[in-house]
Amino acid sequence: MLGGLVYALLFLIIMTEYAFAHRVTVFAWVEGDTVYTESKFSGGRKAKNAPIEVFDSQGRKLLEGKTDENGEFSFKAPKKTEMNIVLVAGMGHKGEWTISVDEFEEENSGNSQNPASQDIKATPPDTVNEPESMPDETTVTSPCLTSEDVQDVVEKTLDKKLKPIINKLNKSLDPDHGPSVSDIFGGIGYIFGLVGVGAYFNYRKKKE
Amino acid sequence: MHISEGVLSGPVLLTGGALAAAGTAVGLKHMDYDRIAQVGILSSAFFIASLIHFNIGPSSVHLVLNGIVGLLLGWTAFPAILVALTLQSLFFQFGGITVLGVNTVNMALPAVLCYLLLGPLIKKNHSIAIVASFFAGFLSVFFAAVLLAMSLVFTEENFWEVSMLVIISNLPVMVIEGIVTAFCIAFLKKVHPVILPGYLA
Repeated sequence: MLGGLVYALLFLIIMTEYAFAHRVTVFAWVEGDTVYTESKFSGGRKAKNAPIEVFDSQGRKLLEGKTDENGEFSFKAPKKTEMNIVLVAGMGHKGEWTISVDEFEEENSGNSQNPASQDIKATPPDTVNEPESMPDETTVTSPCLTSEDVQDVVEKTLDKKLKPIINKLNKSLDPDHGPSVSDIFGGIGYIFGLVGVGAYFNYRKKKE
Repeated sequence: MHISEGVLSGPVLLTGGALAAAGTAVGLKHMDYDRIAQVGILSSAFFIASLIHFNIGPSSVHLVLNGIVGLLLGWTAFPAILVALTLQSLFFQFGGITVLGVNTVNMALPAVLCYLLLGPLIKKNHSIAIVASFFAGFLSVFFAAVLLAMSLVFTEENFWEVSMLVIISNLPVMVIEGIVTAFCIAFLKKVHPVILPGYLA
């Protein structure tokens, strides 16, 4: 009995983190092979130590894990498929986020080890952001620096430089901004509108 | 207080939906259409209340206000809360459309219970009314927590811990709601007692 109580108390201490919020969101994005997730409650509190489960499009569980102190959790994608990331916060709270296959493809299209890069090499005019040195390299065919090497370096540098921007973009796509003032007044407006409709019919009934 | 989408099993959702529909029907029947503005204002108050957070210790809690909605509206609390919850789920993504029925019952049924149990006491002398309204606020959140725990019985494996947790973690909300409700009722009793239960001609 006492043991049960102690267990319940321990459980309480662990769970209090996500006891009160009314909404949890999990948000995920892909970088290379790694999927990053971020979980939080409405109001911006991070969901710490919350279990995360990852399913594929057929509903099979691929892996599971726990968020860290910042509500973050990342994993190497076991395969490039559509993924459904589910955050289970207990007490009736649950958040979901789906990653589509496209996101993996977009991420990997620039990677030179990837078969996708063959397409780029085959059609150089399409790749607008290639450096000027690129045609030179191919014509000279220097033994130490192939076009692939250059492309690789460029990709890597670009990745590094763009990382903060991509992060920012991902963050801006994050659906959890909390309710805005327009949401609040919009809701009140709807209620008053309903009151108006009710009052109108009441008035009409009285007149008859 | 709001249960998210996709947590509950089908039968629970259906039961919740049916009960909410029945409650709303009764509520609409009981509604005094001459005082529809009051229903709207209380519905708006409920709609906003979830946005008012209190930071207590490491966590934050939000108001529910179902106690005062129940005391002032009686059965009409059902449609008022249903409308407010629908808008909350659309605008704030609290709860969800499929769990709307369950969430409505969880919050509106305690409101009606408190109205039936404690409403008659509001008419009594000042101190009894204050105590009764405190308990209306307190118990409406308490019963809502109990109902929330009950809705999870089929989906949470360690049900007893979860229900204990739901109730304990909502204790601060119960106290705050009790105080808020007591203040509101005391104020209304002084200023505009006509809208309180038992004063209606």
